[in-house]
Amino acid sequence: MTSSPISEPVLLILLSLAQQPRHGYAILRDTEEMSDGRVRLSTGTLYGALRRLLDDRWIERFKEQESSRGRQAYRLTSLGQRVLQAELSRLRKLTRVAGLRVARKES
Amino acid sequence: MLSLCRWLLHLYPPEHRLEYGEEMMRVLSDIEAHVQNKGVRAGAASTVHEVAGLLYGAIREHLRAITGSRANLAIYGRRVTMRSEFRFPKAAVVLMTIILVAILVVIERAKSIQASIPYANPHVGPIKEVGINVFPLLLLVLLGACAAATIGWAVVFALHRSGTHRFSKVDPSHTRPAAD
Repeated sequence: MTSSPISEPVLLILLSLAQQPRHGYAILRDTEEMSDGRVRLSTGTLYGALRRLLDDRWIERFKEQESSRGRQAYRLTSLGQRVLQAELSRLRKLTRVAGLRVARKES
Repeated sequence: MLSLCRWLLHLYPPEHRLEYGEEMMRVLSDIEAHVQNKGVRAGAASTVHEVAGLLYGAIREHLRAITGSRANLAIYGRRVTMRSEFRFPKAAVVLMTIILVAILVVIERAKSIQASIPYANPHVGPIKEVGINVFPLLLLVLLGACAAATIGWAVVFALHRSGTHRFSKVDPSHTRPAAD
């Protein structure tokens, strides 16, 4: 699946798509909102990341049916969901260890 | 902003532009509509942000096209790897061996000429070695090779681009009728 940690922008994109399928602009807005405006992806960076995620088959592209403009939207694949779960589990573990260490230091 | 971004999209490899160009323009137009009411400063900041992103993305996509793999910069945190199918042609080994042998033969021949001249013609004194500073010479050769490689790459790139454009304009249904 993945051996190295996922970068923050990629993690935010995957989290955005975990909730529901979205098109490019919606992903940009959602990642910015999730990070409280800290991560502002540009269109060039977003599409570089999306292309790589498509290559890795973590996400897939489809034409939005509801949209009158027939936009391309993206959704997580089952592999992408597994990768995201693994990454979240890694982060949970890291947070737990960090919490323990900091608590030990403070006491 | 849109016209500038549309122009910058031409810096991307053609296949990326064909696949995502239209979609990226839609996103850019949504962004422009979003920042339109936020003032000049927000508009300018957004333009700079998007232009920088497009330039960065174009470089990354070209790197990916050259290396054939994930030529990832900071966002992915992986190394740029060489194209896995890249191999030196077998002829290169033979050619390099021939060049090496030729250089060794020339050096030996020069040594024998240097040794024989004072005996063959006593009026000619012993040949003194000319002190050649090797490093500037090597630097010059290296710079020359880099310049030649850059020119070669530019020519290949230009030919590739023009060829791709020409092919993209070809209508396959418009074939010449066979001669009777």
